Amino acid sequence: MDNSQPFFDFGPIWDSRWLLLEGFGIAMFSAVAGIFFAIVLGLIVALMRLSRFKVLRGIAFVYTQLFRGVPLYVLILWIYFGLVYAVGIDIPRIPSGIIALALLNSGYLSETFRSGILAIDKGQREAGEALGLRKWEVTRYIVLPQAGRIVVPPTGNQFVDAIKDSAILSIIGVPELMKIAQEQANLFYRPFEFYTVAGLMYLVAVMLVSRGIFILEGRLARYSRSKGNDESSETAPSASGVSN
Amino acid sequence: MARSLILKELMKQTMAEALLQIKNVTKQFGDHVVLKDVNLEIAKGEVVCIIGPSGSGKSTLLRCINFIAPPDQGEIVFEGKTWKKFHSAFNVFANRKYEAQLPQLRSEIGMVFQHFNVFPHMTAVENVMLGLTKVRGKDRGSSRKIAEQALNQVGLGDKIDQYPEKLSGGQKQRVAIARALALNPKVMLFDEVTSALDPELVSGILDEMRRLAREGMTMVVVTHEMNFAFQVANRIVFMDQGKIVTTGTPDEIRNTTDPRARAFLSSILG
Amino acid sequence: MDGYIYNWNVVWQSLPELRQGLIITLQISIVGMALAIAFGLIFATGRLSQYGYIRKISVGVVDVSRSIPLFVLLFWIYYGLSLKFSINLTAFQAGAIALGITGGAYMAEVFRGGINAIDLGQREAALAIGLTQSKAFFLVIFPQAIRIIVPQAVNVYVGLLKGATIVSVIGVADMIYVAQYVSLNSFTPFEMYSAVGIAFIALTVSIAGLAFLLEKRLNQGRARG
Repeated sequence: MDNSQPFFDFGPIWDSRWLLLEGFGIAMFSAVAGIFFAIVLGLIVALMRLSRFKVLRGIAFVYTQLFRGVPLYVLILWIYFGLVYAVGIDIPRIPSGIIALALLNSGYLSETFRSGILAIDKGQREAGEALGLRKWEVTRYIVLPQAGRIVVPPTGNQFVDAIKDSAILSIIGVPELMKIAQEQANLFYRPFEFYTVAGLMYLVAVMLVSRGIFILEGRLARYSRSKGNDESSETAPSASGVSN
Repeated sequence: MARSLILKELMKQTMAEALLQIKNVTKQFGDHVVLKDVNLEIAKGEVVCIIGPSGSGKSTLLRCINFIAPPDQGEIVFEGKTWKKFHSAFNVFANRKYEAQLPQLRSEIGMVFQHFNVFPHMTAVENVMLGLTKVRGKDRGSSRKIAEQALNQVGLGDKIDQYPEKLSGGQKQRVAIARALALNPKVMLFDEVTSALDPELVSGILDEMRRLAREGMTMVVVTHEMNFAFQVANRIVFMDQGKIVTTGTPDEIRNTTDPRARAFLSSILG
Repeated sequence: MDGYIYNWNVVWQSLPELRQGLIITLQISIVGMALAIAFGLIFATGRLSQYGYIRKISVGVVDVSRSIPLFVLLFWIYYGLSLKFSINLTAFQAGAIALGITGGAYMAEVFRGGINAIDLGQREAALAIGLTQSKAFFLVIFPQAIRIIVPQAVNVYVGLLKGATIVSVIGVADMIYVAQYVSLNSFTPFEMYSAVGIAFIALTVSIAGLAFLLEKRLNQGRARG
């Protein structure tokens, strides 16, 4: 092919460094925003799924099956291209991406939250009610804080998945890392270099976030043990096997 | 009483060729040294009971004998052949060669575990047959006959085709004993085999073990059942913190002057 | 807008192409899964090796494969590797390989988890009667681990199915590709993408159903206790 060039041509990478970093920033921003809304939605849906009312439970069930079954790519295309025609709302690129990420991840997170809440021993509820707390107060002050701790690792994993999924946003033109890498790769005719670098940047992001979650888990565990809880159930079943 | 006298005579005769010798065995897991320079000889037909507090290394010692947890230092001499741990960091072939020899050792030594470890995905008779077909290479027909006989001997003749989940703890343990016995081992190792059983099932298993002892099986028994140990053992070994503190006949141990042994015995026997 | 006139006819008319696209999606995901199982076995056994350096490499490969977006891996393989090393891969092949690597990383964890879940005592008992390491594994450990592994493997497959949608970007003619060009010509992205979405949900739900039945069958009495 091109024998005069070095195996890994750093030049174009260096020239595009700011663009790449901007892309990285947008990717992370989308992931964070997406997960944030996913957590909010996921919590609502989880509580709906656990409610006394069959209707709410039904809606929540359909919601989770829907958003766990649909691929992110299809969802994004549907939101960005499809909704314009049907509902007349033209959602711009980045919000479309964030909404798609939020909806998709909320499906998984609602299952995670539900498992986490169910994992809290019934005895805790009984003790709370015996003290005179009302049902919602028991949930708010006793169950959720403990469930919160159990739920941190799977939620962290979901966040990592969101970071990886943000790459798909490039398809609707969001100028995130993957899109920038594509453009630059085509510009300089160096796909190997640019995709390698993009991959490494995601790798670093994922490793840092994973490490952060690990440390967070450790801190939370210490906190709960020192409070004299008698069993700390560290693991909640994770709702999703694979991303997307 | 009379029995131990007779056995003492037998032992004097066979002392020259002890069936099993544990020589200078040391074993550690990570930083924790579990066994420190342990030495023990076991003669043919002898019943040796190992007692001691938890964590004294008793179970680990048993696992060193059949190399499930090979000793880091020291050796095991069994029927005249010496066995030492071997592991090369790079030489795959040497490691494989070494590994291939271990089954010979292990199939001559039977082991029964505290938590039974019967294979749940096989029926009782299949559990017992496994060693015969896959280790000794016998055909299914004769393996099955031998297996059925072994199960009959431990009183499970009517449970031959049952899956373990349908069996009680005591029955599972009998399957485990039959499984080990089917290979006609020279030595049987028992690792606290009644500790996980409901109290009413314990005596059944102990009776099985008494029967084996009467039939002349060489046995190394780690146990907390003191009555059993003092009644059946030819020798009792007291271990603490990875070392053998003292050994002797049941009478000798009962009257031991060693402080740690005394403390242990009085806390158990009251 | 006053009222959008939904044009579902386009969907019905494109059914043959959509069906063709579905077949391609299934093909690429199945090939990907086969590769994933193969890679997963390799990485998992590497992880269990007695040799430190093999273990470290296996762990490293799995971690990296799980940290990189499928999309990036796909482009890296199809555009990057092939250009740099002058290998000619079809889009389908590149897609299957990318799925295989990503899936392989997850399958490695599934295998490892399933095997570790089997009580240590089972291995000890198997060795104690004189079985070699490999016989102990195949006759005692693996039959029990399979019960745990299969449901999780199905989860991984579902993930691959959904991940496979990306291959349309490099030109594989799957369902999305079909939906894209049809909607481009007939201005019906809403209908087409809805249809594809529903198809995927139906697929996912039925696979989940099959997996449930499979789990029940595997669990019938035997492998417990």
